[in-house]
Amino acid sequence: MLQNELFDNIMRDFNTGYWELHNDPDTEIWSDRFYEILGYHKKDVQSDIDYFLAHLLHPEDVDVFRDNFINYRKNAVNFKQHIKIINTKGDYQLFRCATNDELPVNIKSGANYVFFFEIKLEPDQTIKKDNFYYKETAQMTATGSWYVDFQKKESYWDFETYRILEYSDDYRPSLKDSANYYAEEFRQQAADCFFNCAMIGTPFNTEIKMVTANKREFWARAIGKPIYNENKEIVGIRGVFQDIDEIKSKEIRLQKSVDIIAAQNSRLFNFAHIVSHNLRSHTSNLSLLVQLIEDIKDPKEKEELVNEIKTISTNLNTTIEHLNEIVTIQTNNKQKRTPVKFIDSLTLVINGISHMISNGNAEIRSDFSALKEIEYIPAYLESILLNLITNAIKYKHPDRDPIITIKTYLKDGNKFLEVSDNGRGIDMELFKDKIFGMYKTFHYNEDAVGIGLFMTKNQVESMEGTISLESQVDQGTTFTVAF
Amino acid sequence: MGDKIEIACIIDDDNVYVNLVKRIIETKHLCKKLLVFENGKNALRFFEKVITNIKEEKVPEVIFLDLNMPVMDGWEFLANFIKIKNKFEKTITLYIVSSSINPLDVRKAKSIKGVKDYLIKPINISDFETIFEKA
Repeated sequence: MLQNELFDNIMRDFNTGYWELHNDPDTEIWSDRFYEILGYHKKDVQSDIDYFLAHLLHPEDVDVFRDNFINYRKNAVNFKQHIKIINTKGDYQLFRCATNDELPVNIKSGANYVFFFEIKLEPDQTIKKDNFYYKETAQMTATGSWYVDFQKKESYWDFETYRILEYSDDYRPSLKDSANYYAEEFRQQAADCFFNCAMIGTPFNTEIKMVTANKREFWARAIGKPIYNENKEIVGIRGVFQDIDEIKSKEIRLQKSVDIIAAQNSRLFNFAHIVSHNLRSHTSNLSLLVQLIEDIKDPKEKEELVNEIKTISTNLNTTIEHLNEIVTIQTNNKQKRTPVKFIDSLTLVINGISHMISNGNAEIRSDFSALKEIEYIPAYLESILLNLITNAIKYKHPDRDPIITIKTYLKDGNKFLEVSDNGRGIDMELFKDKIFGMYKTFHYNEDAVGIGLFMTKNQVESMEGTISLESQVDQGTTFTVAF
Repeated sequence: MGDKIEIACIIDDDNVYVNLVKRIIETKHLCKKLLVFENGKNALRFFEKVITNIKEEKVPEVIFLDLNMPVMDGWEFLANFIKIKNKFEKTITLYIVSSSINPLDVRKAKSIKGVKDYLIKPINISDFETIFEKA
């Protein structure tokens, strides 16, 4: 196998000892170089983890190495650790121990490895240095470490965890209080992570919202893995919290902008489609008409056809006016919001269509007591009310006079406007997706133009609101605008 | 008469377009009768009625179907029409005639069996003549 050959070459150049891990049964194959560095012959020692822990590894390193090794085997958690191994002469040699993710090149190896890089420095010196680097790294990356000991039933935090969570040094962390470290809506997630890690040894690496002693919420990355004892039982969890609030907040802001851009893009796309379709239908009529005029010989008939141009031109103008209005909405949303009283807008609208209201025998009931005014573009509010009211009158039920009920209300801190009628209703099964489309009409009315609701939706959305409706045929329709 | 089309049918909500087609058919004597429906629902109602009354002579040989229409659009009409199409003894040739140049519409239309072709408005008068000759 070329792959293996390549790998072997690299391992040779690497000039380091390693273990190759195998499963079923769990065994480790120690490389020749591993024996060589320590001066052992294969027959001198027993090549398995238990012998290694008991006889070769420095007692100081046993607990941590055992954890790391079991986690690597069971959960594929890569690790790095400094360890001391005894050689044939009885002296300890220092190694930097690392796993697959340390491989120098991109070789997809099916097997798992543990590498042992020898370090020639004096052990004491390195460890001091390491401690310095550790503190430095912890502070610079705002990463706090913690450890929960299930046997002693105690929790330990390092200095950085205290700092991140804003607790004073004399605070004693405990499992009982642990729910308080997380924002309420994330407590279940935190509990699940810990439970799974403690019971079945699943390590976790997740983003979670935490709470400091001063009740400040922030986003953190929480990583944890189980700790095993000699009998491979889970006796604790060790992990880190990293303060990622700044990154996460940026991510959330970014996501919000992406959503807004996507919504705008889809409106633009829709608009481009409308423009192309609605303008094309006039130009194609025009072109057909011209062909016909050229084709016809009789001057009188020709003259008649020229009159048709007028009709097409009027239609084209209307379409362009409609498109203009839509473009205006899209660009107008920078216009300033001013406080508008609902009753003022309604009065204006009612005065404007008083003729239609009295002709249609319509009754308008309004109740704005829950929410009297709103910051909005006054012209939009009038246009929204106008469209919804005229629709209600146009599509009144043939057997009864229209009653239109308009009210405002607050729900969960959000502001709503509701316009309901007792009209003929819309078949929601058939028209659900088409109601707010341009030039879609659902009734056999001569003056159904099919632009009103499209405009209303555009106005509401350009002000970052939503509009929805509920309707039943023969019962009536209720439109709800969420501001 | 032989192959000559007697009755044609337009399903389209654009009055201007329908009037122009009427005129073309009149001046060119393309067929004897033109049925016009302003949306899919009216057209469907007609075809369903014809089935129960069995007056075959009323059935058009060719249909020009628009896509964007109020109340019932071309797609919906098509879905319903395909179900009853085989109950007519005459073969009815159906063209989609739309001003939509959206490739998705074109692909969708051409994938439907029973749609002879997708014609994009404006149609040439000569194209109309060819269709009436060969249909």
